[in-house]
Amino acid sequence: MHEFSIALEIVDTLEENGYLDGVNKVNSVKLGIGKYSGIDKNYLGFAFQNLNDERFKGVLLEVISNDSDEIKIEEIMVD
Amino acid sequence: MLNSNRVNRGSTGRGGGRSLTVQRNALESNEVIAKKNKAIFGRALVMNFLSSPGSGKTSLLESIVPVLKSEGIRAAVIEGDVETDLDKKRIDNLGVPAYQIITNGTCHLDAKMVNGSLGNMDIKDADVIFIENVGNLVCPTSFNLGEDMKAVVLSITEGDDKPLKYPAAFYKSKVMVINKIDLLPALDSDISKIKENALSINKDLIIFETSCKKKPDGGIQNKGIADMVSFIKEKIKLKADGFRKIGGNIYF
Repeated sequence: MHEFSIALEIVDTLEENGYLDGVNKVNSVKLGIGKYSGIDKNYLGFAFQNLNDERFKGVLLEVISNDSDEIKIEEIMVD
Repeated sequence: MLNSNRVNRGSTGRGGGRSLTVQRNALESNEVIAKKNKAIFGRALVMNFLSSPGSGKTSLLESIVPVLKSEGIRAAVIEGDVETDLDKKRIDNLGVPAYQIITNGTCHLDAKMVNGSLGNMDIKDADVIFIENVGNLVCPTSFNLGEDMKAVVLSITEGDDKPLKYPAAFYKSKVMVINKIDLLPALDSDISKIKENALSINKDLIIFETSCKKKPDGGIQNKGIADMVSFIKEKIKLKADGFRKIGGNIYF
C-alpha cells in the first residue's frame, strides 16, 4: 500500500514548487498514471481521502491512464 | 525550495476555483534526493534488488559478494527490511560494509531512506553497492533510489505467470534473476514460460538462472552465479570508466 507514500510525494512536489501557496482547498488533482507505474488508482484515491491535510479533504482524483511507467501531476483545481 | 513566482497562478474554473497547470513528475521530491544519492555513489555501480519475500535476494548476495571479493572487487550492501536486521547480520558475515534500513512497516525503500544510510557506512572505496529492497514486488518499483539499475529476482516456486501479474517490476528492471533453479526437478515450473512472459513485458531484460544452494563442500557457486558476476564486473568497469572520462563530475 505504497499509495500513501505516493500521495505524500505528490503533496511535497506541489508544496515545494509553490503550487499550494495561499491555497485553502484543493478541489481536484488530475494525474497521468502509467500502466507500469505500479500504482493502483483506487488505493491512491483512498490515500488522498485519508491524508492528514485539511486542504485535500474531499479532493477529487482524476486519472488519465497511459502506457508509461510514470506518474505525472497534470493539473490541480484550487480555491 | 519554493519557486512560487514561476507558478502559473491559473485561470478561474466553473466552480469559481483556479486551475493550475502543473505538468510535473509526481515523485519529483524523491527524484531530487535520488540524484543526490547518485552523486554520493560516485563511480560505484549500484544495483537495486527487488523481489517478493523469500525469493532469495540475501542468498544471492551471499553467493555473489564472496566471488567479487575474491577478485579484489569492493562491495557494500544496503539492506531494507520492515522489521529486523537479520539480513544485515548475514551480510556482516561476508566482511563487507553493510547498513540496515528498518522501515517500520513501510513496504518499500525511498531515496530519503537510502540517503540517510549513506552517512552511516563507508562506501567511498566501493566498486559496487547492492541495495536489497524490502521484499515486495509492487511498491519498490515506484521509487528511484539513485541506482544504476533495478534487478528483479524471481524464484521458480513463484509461478510462471509472475511477470504478467506484476509487470511494473519487470518493466523497470534491467536484469531478471530466476533463482532456486535447483528445485526445478521437483516442480512443474516451466522456466521457458517465465522467460517468455518476462520478455513480453520487457524485451531487453538480461536473464540469469541461479541456484544459491550450498554444496556438501560448502561451495555455493553455479554457472548462473559465475555469469552474473561476469555481468556485474563488466558493468562496474563501464561505470567507472565513464565516471573517470568526465572527471568524476558525472552527476554534480
